[in-house]
Order: sequence, then structure tokens, then C-alpha cells
Amino acid sequence: MSYFTAASLDEALNVLREAKGKALIIAGATDLFLKGMPSQAVDIASLPELGMIVEEQDYLSVGAAVTHAAAASSPLIMVKAAALAEACAAVGSPQVRNLGTIGGNLVNAAPAADAAVALAALGAKAVLCDIDGRRRVEELGNLYAGYNQSRIDSSREIVLNLIFKTCQFNEGSAFARFASRRALSLPMVNVAARVGLENGVFAEVRLVAAPVKPAPTRLFKTEEALLGKEPNEETRQMVEELASAEVKVRGSLLRCSADYRRHLIGVLAGRVLMAAVRRVQDKEES
Amino acid sequence: MQPETPAVRELISTEKNYQSAEVWTKVTGKAIYGIDLRLPGMLYGKILRSSHPHARIKKIKTSAALKMPGVRTVLTGSDLSCSPYGIVINDEMPLEPEHVRYVGDEVAAVAAVDDKKAEEALKLIHVEYETLPAVFDTGEAQLPEAPQLHENFPGNVAWRREVVRGDPESAFRNADLVVEGKFHIPQFHPAYLEPVACVAVSEPDGGITLHTAVQSPDIVRDLLAQVLKLPLSRVRIVGPVMGGGFGGKVYGNLNLYLISALLSMQTGLPVKMQLTREEEFTAGRPMVAAEIKMRMALGNDGTFLGREMDLITDNGAYSAQAPWVSNTLAERNDSVYRIPAIKTKARLVYTNKVPTGQYRAYGNQVANFACESLIDMAAKKLKIDPLEMRLRNCVRPGETTVHGLQIKSCGLAECLAAATEEIGWTKRKKGHGYGLSAAIHASGSVVFDPNLRGASARISLELDGNISLFTGEQDYGQGTHAAFSQIAAIALDLEPSRISVYSKDSLVTPYSMGALGMRQATIGGKAVQLAAEKLREKIIRTSSEMIGEPVIMENGRIRSASGRQVDFTEIAHYYHGQTSGLTLTGEGSYVPPESSYDDTKYGNIAVTYSFAAHAAEVEIDPETGALTVHRIVAAHDSGRIINHLSASGQIYGGVAQGFGMSCLEGYLFNEGRVANPTLADYKIPTALDVPDITPLFIETDDPEGPYGAKGLGEIVQVPVPGALANAVADAAGGWVTEMPITAEKIFRILSNRGAAK
Ligand SMILES: Cc1cc2nc3c(=O)[nH]c(=O)nc-3n(C[C@H](O)[C@H](O)[C@H](O)COP(=O)(O)OP(=O)(O)OC[C@H]3O[C@@H](n4cnc5c(N)ncnc54)[C@H](O)[C@@H]3O)c2cc1C
Repeated sequence: MSYFTAASLDEALNVLREAKGKALIIAGATDLFLKGMPSQAVDIASLPELGMIVEEQDYLSVGAAVTHAAAASSPLIMVKAAALAEACAAVGSPQVRNLGTIGGNLVNAAPAADAAVALAALGAKAVLCDIDGRRRVEELGNLYAGYNQSRIDSSREIVLNLIFKTCQFNEGSAFARFASRRALSLPMVNVAARVGLENGVFAEVRLVAAPVKPAPTRLFKTEEALLGKEPNEETRQMVEELASAEVKVRGSLLRCSADYRRHLIGVLAGRVLMAAVRRVQDKEES
Repeated sequence: MQPETPAVRELISTEKNYQSAEVWTKVTGKAIYGIDLRLPGMLYGKILRSSHPHARIKKIKTSAALKMPGVRTVLTGSDLSCSPYGIVINDEMPLEPEHVRYVGDEVAAVAAVDDKKAEEALKLIHVEYETLPAVFDTGEAQLPEAPQLHENFPGNVAWRREVVRGDPESAFRNADLVVEGKFHIPQFHPAYLEPVACVAVSEPDGGITLHTAVQSPDIVRDLLAQVLKLPLSRVRIVGPVMGGGFGGKVYGNLNLYLISALLSMQTGLPVKMQLTREEEFTAGRPMVAAEIKMRMALGNDGTFLGREMDLITDNGAYSAQAPWVSNTLAERNDSVYRIPAIKTKARLVYTNKVPTGQYRAYGNQVANFACESLIDMAAKKLKIDPLEMRLRNCVRPGETTVHGLQIKSCGLAECLAAATEEIGWTKRKKGHGYGLSAAIHASGSVVFDPNLRGASARISLELDGNISLFTGEQDYGQGTHAAFSQIAAIALDLEPSRISVYSKDSLVTPYSMGALGMRQATIGGKAVQLAAEKLREKIIRTSSEMIGEPVIMENGRIRSASGRQVDFTEIAHYYHGQTSGLTLTGEGSYVPPESSYDDTKYGNIAVTYSFAAHAAEVEIDPETGALTVHRIVAAHDSGRIINHLSASGQIYGGVAQGFGMSCLEGYLFNEGRVANPTLADYKIPTALDVPDITPLFIETDDPEGPYGAKGLGEIVQVPVPGALANAVADAAGGWVTEMPITAEKIFRILSNRGAAK
């Protein structure tokens, strides 16, 4: 096995190009190590341009090599994209969070990957660069080829960063998951929301749940029903019912039954919406 | 009563936390575990396992594997000349020659120059199977049309027992209340950090030395000699440090040991083998699974009148210790309280699943789940406080229980009072659930082997004035050896750090039953006390012979009436010279009274009994059923506590494990295949999950145990499932009767009651 630690993006792209599909990007290796290491690895974990968290005007750019630990403790992310901070804080264990990256979480394409669910709710887009230096920007939903299968070919394409609009004064986001154990436990469900309030009613809602489909899944019907509604207990109960009715989920011997999973999605949907609303209200009050 | 000498007082005040030197090797990473062992020229062995739950082996082709470079030998069942063996039932072969009975059954083995080549070679072995219908359910396995796993066991019943004590019929006829329940308990694995590992060395004299960390090395030695048809003196077990056992390594993994020995005998080279984590789960010996149907008869005032149990335990494909575990599971809880009438029917049934064995408390802990739940169900119906109900019925000192156990020291009532007081039983937090459970566990069983009930120890004064203690009792983290040093230190009036304990070579240590049945501190410790007292006498006698005056011994020094002082070094050298090289040695053997078992197994079974009561405080999320266990208070009567640090450690660990099995763990199967054979999916608690644990010691003074001590290591886990089941029921309004108590099951209870929000 050959292992190459890239000092710059160009270098990483060059090595990939020369290897003609035989080399693979490696970041924290928390997933790759389990799947089996490639014969040639190009380590991009320490590329400065992939490790940055930057706010530019109303947008936040999170580098693909930002670790879960770094994202969870970034004041910028905590304030402007709380859902992502919560999701990253919930991943695995301290060891996994210190190594695992947001880009890896996305490309690994697990159906209930925590960071990916939060990013989907935030409306993030991925910026990619291929070995010929061509850049493109993709919706997250377009990056999934199937369960645990990404459309991103990591032998010829690198995720550079994730970009999304920061939560404005009238906006808030939140993330919640349900697992059988408090650490090192893949979630039975995870749900994230981003809301915008105007005149005390929902003006904008993005509600995402997993595992429902290969990619984090938006609950469009529930979102739509919320528009114009006041965030109160009645609305929360409505969300609970609508969200669990909207999803078609599978049960599994290892995690839980389909019915219970559907119920949990409802409960968590209600909770993340209210938590996101509280974040807006907290801003308004202070 | 034990004499409270100044030495005893001193020890209990200052040495409560003494730890042996080995502890520090673990903390600093210097300990050598079985997995670390490497010997020159060593080969690596791997096992090819059945991929079918039930099949006949028609043909095995090994030629391709044998031809592979680096492969030294390949063994199959037909190469073996041994007969079926077992711990209780002879139903198992190291490699099955023609009939495989579970996914994981040993079919062939390879020894190669490295791990990878051995693994590769397995893929070159071709096995032709004829698959047979398989049975995974204990109920179906007993039907006439069910496939039969073993010729000699029609109906797939490996073991059965029926017991009646007192008059259960009239107890139930005259009862004011009868409560009943059905409880389901899956297989549990202790999930010790170090999977079983060994290195077998075929010796020039035809014997075998097996390097492995096992709880009962002498019993393993007996079995190896028997199966391999070797003289006992040619089998030697040498123990590295053990990376956790918890009752799951009483006999380690016998098939692994036998296969590595056979591979070594075949090649003449040392052969190392170790289970992978997946093999531990799929081909280790998890604790038996159980279905319990139970009824209990009570009077209106909460007096227990009788109990009936119908128990079916799932043996899996072979028996290991499952008959013993089933027996303890069936009856030990009957002796926690005064229950005058008992009717028990137990069957152990073969299925095409992983064979089962033992984990920490021989099934007492999972029976506790059922028995203690039922008690609280009755308390609720009779509107009696569960604490009141337990105090009214619990066993007291001097009593003989329904199965004939003779209770000497017993602080159970005090444990119940202390645990409830500490948890705030009468000052409950709103919305929290509280649960209580009580337990008994035999300390120092005398029925495993009636001919070897006790223990022995040898203790010598070395030339440098320090002491060497030889014992067959194993310490793999419980603190047994620190306690032994302390016990010998009391007898010899010196600091425990001057006493080194050796236990890891069957060639030189006294024979022992090993670490099981909470016997080591009680029985083994008593032998150490007796040996040390003998040595003390000898030292005094030899000293006075040396200086020609009577002497007394104090603080590790010997003094005559005239003021002449002799230290241990001097006396050791004197004796060494007088005998041309011998050391002063005390041998102690403690032989407890015989069991008074009759044909129905009525009678006393152990040197003494330990008791415990646990109280749990929990909270439930009404929307999801998610459970938070805030706290478990563990009150224990283990007699006089020799070492508080070790004893508390046993409670922290045992309660954490008890919490894990109660709320997180358990085997899942898919067509007989273990569906969660990894630590990712078989979920043991992480540091974030373990509740706050408060150990409390009710120190009775046991007349049998050394300086009043009784066993602790197994009972720590026993009350946990019952206490948690009852606390959850208190919060949820109904009992989860299937372990583990998951959020989904709690949610189902809430939904059925219409209490889910
Ligand atoms: C014990 C354990 C527990 C875990 N628990 C959780 C959990 O609770 N929640 C959760 O969501 N995940 C969990 N994971 C999964 C994992 O940690 C995350 O998915 C992590 O974010 C992956 O990032 P990485 O940097 O380690 O990826 P790597 O393993 O380095 O890479 C994963 C894949 O992504 C590709 N890749 C990585 N970076 C890029 C890039 N910038 N551009 C293109 N391709 C790239 C690689 O080629 C590879 O195919 C757990 C993993 C382990 C081992």
C-alpha cells in the first residue's frame, strides 16, 4: 500500500490523475479503515483549504476535511448552523469525532449519517473539484447513488467544501437523533430542521429525516402544512402526526420495528422544529 | 466469631485499599496477556467453521490447503481419535467428524507460519455438506417431528429437573392472591476485552504445555489430559494475565485449547490460536437463554405462600455448563425469601444455535428479573410497599431455606433498609421510577465436585525474609490476590506488600477448582489463613529453637522474653542451613463440611451465603420510552470486607454489566445465525450509559469465611435486572418482561396503557 500525504490541493489532484483511478482520497479513515484501505491512499486531511470554516457575507463555507470535533466546537457553526454542531457532537465517540470529517460523512453515504442530515436541512451544497481542475456545485440529494453508495468517485473527484446560507436573525436550526446507547451507536432515526419565522408564523421550513431513503429525506408535506402556522403545542402535535404519516420506513432486527421508527420520526420532528423556533425566539429576546 | 486481634483492626483500618503489584502493570500497559504471547518458531492456528446450522459433512478435501506454501498441517474431525467430551454432558468434539449442529461449529483447523496464511488456507479447504432441517426454537425442538441434534437425547432435552418442596397445591388453593408472568431472557456474552487466546506447546516427553489465561486452569488441565489421553502430570497450564473473564472464561474455550494442542502435537511446534471478536460471539459460550413461566401465591398481608416455575433453557448445539446454569437459574431465587412451597419444572433443550455456558452468576441474575418482577406485581395488587413486602418475607440469620440452604450470617434485611434509605425510597422525586430487588448467592459451593470441596495453599518464608504464597486461585482483576496477601499478612503480622502471590503455573501451584461460585475469597482465603497460621507457628518454633528461648511474634519481628530480637531473614537463613536448602513452609487446607444434599438435592450447598439488595432510580421519556437510569444503590452483605477498593470495584463493574444486560444487550438471531456478532451491534454500555453507582457494605461477621469475609464477585450483578425492571414498571405503569428493557418495549407498555404522550 502506498500512502501519500498531500501538501496542496494541486498535489492531491496530480497524484489522483497519475494513478488513473487506482488511488483514493482518504480523510479521517474512520469509514475506509473498516471497509478496507485502498492500495494507494491520498490523504487530504491536513490540506489547509479543506480545513477552514469561513463566513462570507450570508454564507458559511465548511471545509470537507473539517472534523466532527472541530465543527461541534466551532462558535460560528454553533451560532449560525446549530443543527450541524449538534449533529457532529453526536457522532460516534471522541476518537471518531477527532478523526472523522464532514466530507467523509457525506461521501460514505450512510443513509442516517448525522452530519449529512443536518447539512441537508441547512440546504447545503457541495463544491467539488475533479482531477482536471473542473469545479461544480451540487445539491446534496444528487450525490447519492443508492444505500451507502455515493455518486462521488473519490478516485477522481474531491469534495472541497460545503456551502449554505447562515441562519439569519429570524432563522434557527436544530438536530436530534435517537439511539439505543449514548455513544458509539448509529441512530435509529435522526431528524434536522431549519425554520424561518415571519410575524410569528412559519415562513420557511426545511425538515429532513433519516433513515428513510438512501439520502436524507425532506418531508415536503409536513413542511408545507407548517407554512403560516404559529409555532405552538398544537402545531407540534400536528407535525408529529404528519411527519410520521409522511415517511415510509423499514424496520430492522438490529435497531427497531418500522412502526416505532415512524413514531420516533414524528416525535423528533416535533422536537427539532420547536428547538429551532426556540433559537429564533432566544435571538429575538436578547 | 473471629477474634478481633490488633492485627485485624489494623488491617481493616489501614489496608482496605491495598493493591498488588500486578494492578500497576495493567495500568501502565506492561501486562502480558495471552494475546501478546510469542514463542520462537510459533505457528498460527485457525478454524474452519460450519456455515450451516445443521448439516452432515459428506466430504472434506484438504489437499489444496496442505499444498499452500506456509501451511504446516490441516486437521479434520476424522483425524481425531478422541471421544466426545463435555463439562457436564459428553456431547462435543474438538472438530466434528460428520455432523455439524450450528453456524460456527468446528470443522477443520490449519496451522501455518502466520495468521494470514492460516486464514487463506481455510478458503482452500472444500467441505461438501448435506444440509439437514434445523430447529431454532426450544418449543419446536421438543416436538416429535423436530430434527434431533444428538442421538442420545430424544426430544432434544439435554437435562431436566422437577422439584417439589412443601405443599404447593394447597399453597395455591389457599392463596388470597395468585400472580403470574412469562419472562423471556436472551443469551448474554460477558464481552471481556480480550478474546480467548492460547499457545499450545507440544513437549519432548509427549506432554502439552498450554499458555492461556483461564479461571479454572486445573479443571482445564484435567479435561485436556482426558480428551488427549495424556497422563495428567504431562499437561501443564501456564497463565499470562487475563484481559477479563467474568465467569465466561471458567474453562476458556476448550475446543480452541484442544485444537491448538492437537496442531502442536502434529507439527511439533508451538501453535498460537485466538478467537476473533466475531468468533467469541458466534462460537464462544454465552450464557443460556431462558423462557420462564412463573406463578406466585400470597396471603392478603403479603406473606409468600408458594411459587411455581416452568423453565425452558436454550442449550444451543452443545451443553458446556448449561445444565449447572439452568439449575441455579431454576432454584437459587427461591432462597431469598421464606417461601414454604415450591414447584419447579426445568428443561434444557438443544437447538441449532451457538452453544451456551456461564456468565458471572450462573443464571441467578436473570431469574432475579422474573422473580423480583413478580413480587412487585403482587405488591401492587395488594397495595403493599415493595420494601415492606420484602422485609416481611426475607430470609434471616439462622434459618434453613426451602431448598435446605443453611443460612449463617445474613444481613439481607439491613441491605434492604440501607439501599432504600440511600436512594430516597420515601422521598421520591416526581416523575422518577423506583425499584428494589434482593438476592442470595452461594459463596463457596461444595457441590461442583463433592471430592474437592475446599482449597489449599502453600506459603513459604524466603531467604530475604519476604513471603511467597502459592495458590491455585486465580486473580483476573477481582483483587483476590491482594486479599490473599492481606489475609496472610494478618496471620503473619506484617505488611501485605511483603507477600507475593503465585498462581499461574499448574506445575507448582496447589490444585484448585478456580474462580467460580464465589469460592475464592471464602474457601481459598480460608486455606491461605490456615497456611499462614501454620507458617507462623513454624517460624516461632524454629526461632525459639535457634536462640534457645521462648519467643513471641509481632509486627513481622520475633522477640524473646529476654529482649533478644530475630528478624525473618535470620530465621530463614538458619532453617536453610539446618536443612541444606529448604524454606520454612506452611501448608493449609480447608475442607468444608460435606453437602447435605439428598436425592432431591435438598440440603446445604455452600460454605456460606452472601446477600444483596439493590435500589434503582430511573426516568422515562413518555413520548419515546427512552430510559435514563439515574442511579443504582448496591447494598451488600459479603461479610467483613477485606479490601474496600477491590470490593467497590467489583460492585461498579458488576452493576455496570448488570445494567448492560438489563437494558442494552442480548443476542439476536436470524435463522440461527447470530445477527449481532460485533461490539458495534451487541451493545455493551459505554461510560456515558453507566448510571451513578453507590456501593454500601453491610458487614456481617461470617463464622466460616476468613476473618469473617464472604464472596462478592458474582452477586454484584444478581439484583440489577430485578431492580431495573421494577423501577421501569414504577415509572411506566407496567412491566417489560423481556430482557433487555429497551425504549421500544417501554413505549409499547406506555401505548397499551394509553399513557404514551
Ligand atoms: C466506531 C464508529 C462510529 C461511528 N459513528 C457514527 C455516527 O454516530 N454517526 C455518523 O454519521 N457516522 C458515524 N461513523 C462513520 C464515520 O465516522 C463518519 O462517516 C465520518 O464522518 C467519515 O469521515 P472520514 O474522514 O473518516 O472518512 P474516510 O473514512 O476517510 O473516507 C470515507 C469515504 O469518503 C471518501 N472521502 C473522504 N473525504 C473526501 C473528500 N473530501 N472528497 C472526496 N471523497 C472523500 C473516501 O474516499 C472514502 O470513500 C462512525 C464510524 C465509526 C468507525
